[in-house]
Amino acid sequence: MRRLFADRLVLATGVIVILLSILFALSRVGVS
Amino acid sequence: MQLRYAVRGAIWVVLYLLFILAPLFALLAGSIPPTRDFWTEFSVAMGYAGLAIMGLQFGLTARFRYVTDPWGEDVIYHFHRQISLIAVGLVVAHPLILFVVRPELLALLNSIQAPWRARFAAVSIYSLIALVVMALWRTKLNINYELWHLTHIVLAVVAVAAGLLHMIGWGFYLDDPWKRSLWIGLTVFWIGLLLYVRIVKPLFMLRRPYHVSEVRKERGDTVTLVMQPDGHAGFRFRPGQFGWLTLWGSPFKITGHPFSFSSSAEAVDGRVEMTIRNLGDFTSAVDKVPAGQRVYIDGPYGAFTIGNPADMHVLIAGGVGITPMTSMIRTLADRGDPRPVILLYGSKDWESITFREELETLKARLNLTVVHVLADPPPGWTGERGFITAEVFKRHLPPPYADHEYFICGPNVMMDAIEAALGQMKVPMSKYHSERYSFV
Repeated sequence: MRRLFADRLVLATGVIVILLSILFALSRVGVS
Repeated sequence: MQLRYAVRGAIWVVLYLLFILAPLFALLAGSIPPTRDFWTEFSVAMGYAGLAIMGLQFGLTARFRYVTDPWGEDVIYHFHRQISLIAVGLVVAHPLILFVVRPELLALLNSIQAPWRARFAAVSIYSLIALVVMALWRTKLNINYELWHLTHIVLAVVAVAAGLLHMIGWGFYLDDPWKRSLWIGLTVFWIGLLLYVRIVKPLFMLRRPYHVSEVRKERGDTVTLVMQPDGHAGFRFRPGQFGWLTLWGSPFKITGHPFSFSSSAEAVDGRVEMTIRNLGDFTSAVDKVPAGQRVYIDGPYGAFTIGNPADMHVLIAGGVGITPMTSMIRTLADRGDPRPVILLYGSKDWESITFREELETLKARLNLTVVHVLADPPPGWTGERGFITAEVFKRHLPPPYADHEYFICGPNVMMDAIEAALGQMKVPMSKYHSERYSFV
């Protein structure tokens, strides 16, 4: 079960990183 | 203890995300280079984040007890393996997106004419892909553990270092000296974590050697090594924990393997025992270890241990998964613990039941019930046969199920079945613990 939790954590990390990468790009485009 | 671990675990998750994302968003501070299109910036952000995840992989395997205790080492390694797929995805997506939005960059694939910064990117990505493929399919590719481990380390360092050189070479975001210093510093820190495990820890172990005082053959093609500290007090472990054992050569060699302690945690002279089954690899030579041989143990590690409030302990072991359970049973007996212990123990046949006689003896000192489950039972056997399934498990377990504490160690199939059954029986996750013994 701890592994299941770890799997969810991996997924959550991936989603957070992609969302914040989008935020990073949007903030850059917005800067112009 | 569980609440403390939960808080510590949450803190480490937040710190982990900060270490990935803070260096990325630091690129937006100070002087900012000219803006490009959304997709280029998005791909660059993924590249930076992917490299940060790769770098932090060194931290996940640096064996910091304070970090790993809330999760257990096997879960940390599981996370390490799974998150590497995310890192590869991010790093590979970076050039793929760029090739789509700026097809002229496809020319960089020609490594002969491409500038160094593009060559470093290629080296980083190819190393990372090779690293992940070898890690996921090491057994299928029939790669020797020691060779794989060495290759894994080299490829990881190359992937991270080449990734950094690619970023510096491109210079777009790292033109600012402080930003460049930040990312160089981070890379040095990541590789420093590797050096900590491979140089600092072995140096410490070198000063704290052990010697094998006894080599005891057990049932089931299994050998127990009894090890005594040489010139130091050793360490105290909690039953169910494990250590990395370096059996041949110096602790600097990449030959350490994780094994559970099988002895009682109440031993006062620093003595530890590890019980190792012959699995046909390097373990086949363990019975040839001479008494007196110098060995090194890095430990203890692991969260698979007793100590939480429970009315009884339910131990479910398959094969060599009996090792940590034996440590728990011996320790509970030494402590005079009056609570019942139920051991469900799956073995191949009656003759190969490791610790069979000792478990019977321990019943005199502990409220212990042993249920043997035999895959190949002898004629006339009236006990459980086959494998430990959820049905076998439920048949021998008294209610109320949620009040017991459960420990599961054995083959993945058995563990999955028992974990699923516990879920159906409404046993809270905090009440059961499992350890996958083949986590590396």
